[in-house]
Amino acid sequence: MPARRPRSLRAQLQAARRAARPAPSTGPRRRAPRPRRPPAPPSAGTPMQRLRGWFASKGWTPFPFQEEAWAAYARGDSGLIHVPTGAGKTHAAYIAPLAEVAEHGREGLQILYVTPLRAVSRDVERALVEPLDLLGGDLAVESRTGDTAAAVRQRQRESLPEVLITTPESLSVMLSNERAPALFSSLRAVIVDEWHELLGTKRGTQTELALARLRRFAPGVRTWALSATLANLEEAARHAVGTGAAPTLVGADLERPVEVETLLPEAVDTFPWAGHLGYAMLSRVAARLDPRESTLVFTNTRAQAERWFEGLRFARPEWGPLLALHHGSIDRDERERVERGLKDGTVRLVVCTSSLDLGVDFGPVERVVQVGSPKGIGRTLQRAGRSAHRPGATSRLLFVPTHALELVEMAAAREALALREVEPRTPPPRPLDVLAQHLVTCALGGGFTRESLRDEVRTAAAYARLTDAEFDQALTLVTEGGPTLRAYPEFRRVVEHGGRFVVTDARVARLHRLNIGTIASDAAVELRYWRGGARLGSVEESYVSRLRPGDTFLFAGRTLELARLQGLTAYVRPARAKATSTPRWAGGRLPLSTSLATAMRRTLEQARQGDVTSDELAAAWPVLEAQARLSRIPGQEAVLAETCQTRDGHHLFLYPFEGRGVHEGLAALLALRLTRLQKATFALSVNDYGLELLTPTPFPFEEALRPALFTREHLAEDVDESVNVGELAKRRFRDIARVAGLVLPGLPGARKSTRQVQASASLLHDVFQRYEPHHPLLAQARREVLEQHFEEARLVRALERLEQGPLEFVHARRPTPLGFPLVVERISASLSNESLLERVERLKERWTRDDARSA
Amino acid sequence: MELLPERALAWPEAGLVAVADPHWGKTESFQRHGIPVPTGVLEDDLARLSSVLLATGARRLLLLGDLVHSREGLTPALVRRLADWRRTHAAVEMVLLRGNHDLAAGPLPPAWELDVREDALDLGPFRFTHHPTPTPGRYVWAGHLHPQVRLSSRGERLRLPCFHVGREVGVLPAFSAFTGGLDVVRRPGERVFALAGPSVIEV
Repeated sequence: MPARRPRSLRAQLQAARRAARPAPSTGPRRRAPRPRRPPAPPSAGTPMQRLRGWFASKGWTPFPFQEEAWAAYARGDSGLIHVPTGAGKTHAAYIAPLAEVAEHGREGLQILYVTPLRAVSRDVERALVEPLDLLGGDLAVESRTGDTAAAVRQRQRESLPEVLITTPESLSVMLSNERAPALFSSLRAVIVDEWHELLGTKRGTQTELALARLRRFAPGVRTWALSATLANLEEAARHAVGTGAAPTLVGADLERPVEVETLLPEAVDTFPWAGHLGYAMLSRVAARLDPRESTLVFTNTRAQAERWFEGLRFARPEWGPLLALHHGSIDRDERERVERGLKDGTVRLVVCTSSLDLGVDFGPVERVVQVGSPKGIGRTLQRAGRSAHRPGATSRLLFVPTHALELVEMAAAREALALREVEPRTPPPRPLDVLAQHLVTCALGGGFTRESLRDEVRTAAAYARLTDAEFDQALTLVTEGGPTLRAYPEFRRVVEHGGRFVVTDARVARLHRLNIGTIASDAAVELRYWRGGARLGSVEESYVSRLRPGDTFLFAGRTLELARLQGLTAYVRPARAKATSTPRWAGGRLPLSTSLATAMRRTLEQARQGDVTSDELAAAWPVLEAQARLSRIPGQEAVLAETCQTRDGHHLFLYPFEGRGVHEGLAALLALRLTRLQKATFALSVNDYGLELLTPTPFPFEEALRPALFTREHLAEDVDESVNVGELAKRRFRDIARVAGLVLPGLPGARKSTRQVQASASLLHDVFQRYEPHHPLLAQARREVLEQHFEEARLVRALERLEQGPLEFVHARRPTPLGFPLVVERISASLSNESLLERVERLKERWTRDDARSA
Repeated sequence: MELLPERALAWPEAGLVAVADPHWGKTESFQRHGIPVPTGVLEDDLARLSSVLLATGARRLLLLGDLVHSREGLTPALVRRLADWRRTHAAVEMVLLRGNHDLAAGPLPPAWELDVREDALDLGPFRFTHHPTPTPGRYVWAGHLHPQVRLSSRGERLRLPCFHVGREVGVLPAFSAFTGGLDVVRRPGERVFALAGPSVIEV
């Protein structure tokens, strides 16, 4: 038992703060003050038996999939467990390793639990700590994240508890410790939670590299990933366990039935445009909700969450503090308050975003509301699963459309849900920036040789096809700085000493660890009260930079006035006047997923055949009817193209239904290729359903839209030429620069020491563009624009479909219900909100009059 | 007084040119910290400065502070390069008004043959210095702030370096391209001149 050290002032302050806070801390558990547990008498059975007894004492019977997972672990397998939320995934992965640890009792870290949550949920901690009591011995559980106190971190550099909960970033920081090989050598099992969330992102790639390293330090370690249902489970499993083992898949058909109800609008405008059902639906939702039922109201963007919270509060002031708001930019303390309130029942209704998708286990809510299309089936299933956590009970979801065409989306989603058509999550292909960061981590954490690390990296499925040249490119990046000789004479990062690559500069080491420890996100400006300095949360720099002192906006349900922007902090005052705007967060709009897009095309085909039996389609009938009358309802066989002429010019509308990312690339590509046929200037507009090209002078669209226009040849070059790839690449470069260590975070504590080397990614990009245009990170930025922003794989498939044809060509009298939202999108891009409303009303008026006249 | 697109201030009557905040050695500082910024900015800066000196025929160059970025940026290669450059303009008198970065960097190489002043240089109706603080009775030309101005049009947003000519103080843009900047806060009576490539445009 470690001796009791006198507490430092800091420790005393922390303890006082902890005592004041109701929730348990993430600090160490079961150290100093606890009396020693007597070792359990042998007659109580093996650890596994005792754990089974503990299960029974809680009234639980192990599910078949849990037994399967425990047996697989005992065999020495690694694998992936895929069952719905709340069905017992954690225990499936944890109990067997825990029993093994209790049985053999090796010193040091033996079970590592990796979670993507930035703030490790106390619920996860509690779940892992609970069974330790009955096992006797001195097992401890700790967590290690960006929030872990410095004193704890210091101790963890020397020795680790038996069970550690951590994040991918903190794991990398620990791997950069030169004692890493020793610290991790006793590892038996790694459990990776929410693998489906990590898999499609660079954090997942980083995790894969870290896992490959752990397998080097502890050759017998078993990896178990926990995931929600995905279309590509086998691929997901391979990425979790690495190329060295065949993964075991453990699943269960425990999918609860999902009951979907769509709140139907009373009257449907034949001119649908985003959000126009707005407040009409809000008041109906307000009438439907009941604080006696715990409810989550999911919205797709933070701005929408703010507006709905405000609207519901206005409609039902009597709910008071029973109604709360929760999203990623709200201050952590406030978010935790809301989460606790949900658990103890003092908060009954929460308007939230994906912020409440993961990790927080507050028991089943009785009702889940989804405002606007969830844009994906996997996400819908996950959210519906928040209701009725008990295995077997039905999940209920209430869809609230925000415009008429969303009714069609929801009808499609309902069918796809029933068929469980979830999306795949595709890992990024061999990103260079993540590898470069990892190389520095390994150089710090014991050093490496070229061949052995290259082979190790290839055991991570994401880098299985890494070529020697690509590896050397990453190595050159961290040893030389870049491809051009003599362009980086003073560069010092990783150096070679007799065939071994290490880091010798203490400052480089410190900056590297500092950088990994934060998660890349858009430059966030802190919001603080002018008086008192209390923190409210954060907004994106791009939003706040457009405000002037005196401007008002809505945040966390409060109307605030900007007093002053100072560096990365915006000081605000409570405002009396009504807010003139709501902050917009750039990452808000997810495109229509592949599954939902496919389902939607299917549903439209049904409508086209006259099958409008579902409630949603019946409610959307006025729109569908207008679409059929003016043009056609799109079918599955052919892609619909419409042309029409208005006072604005000559329009082409095309509806591939592939999501706005793909349509952005497609629109620019088509504009470029069309201008090669005949000189013209096009204004472009896109949404999830299709795209619009508008030109002031007549253009032979029908003639021009031949299969050759949609060829996949020269796709990359044409996209490069047609789009402001430079601008998009610059934005991508920001993220890449952060990961690769070119840009350091402006952390308050570190600012002083990193002041000399603070530079914006934008500035660096310009310098690279000018003096090192062939830099591989610039190339990566451009490639990512194509692969991720325009969803290249999907774009290629869309082109294939268009090339193979046929196209269904219709000349319409005026923009149709499908085309109308695109027109509005184009107008709204250049006008303020007020005039947009007026302008739309005027257009509608004119067209309704024309309609009535011609009818 | 002339505002030049090369990010310099010219006073033909006095045969004088002034620039501010070159921050030479910044690239080297970054590289030393393990951040791979490519070398190349210095050459461009020196070429630009040479062309200004030749075009104006100036006899005196005023450096309004932050000539160097940091002590570790003063690598032997940098010192040599600047000494060589200095020699090509041997006839020009070069005066440095020290700025905060200069102070931190310590004594500068004598090979650079600079007349180093701690505070300010008063000449005619003007005061030339690093920090933009007003002085009664004189118009102050200074640096330190790296002024930038934001311009936006349809979708496009630009930030351009600029001269911020106030009523008592005129701030020069940072001379080097590899420097961050601060958006100007404009008050009534002040003028802003943005640098867009080959031209200086009042905005």
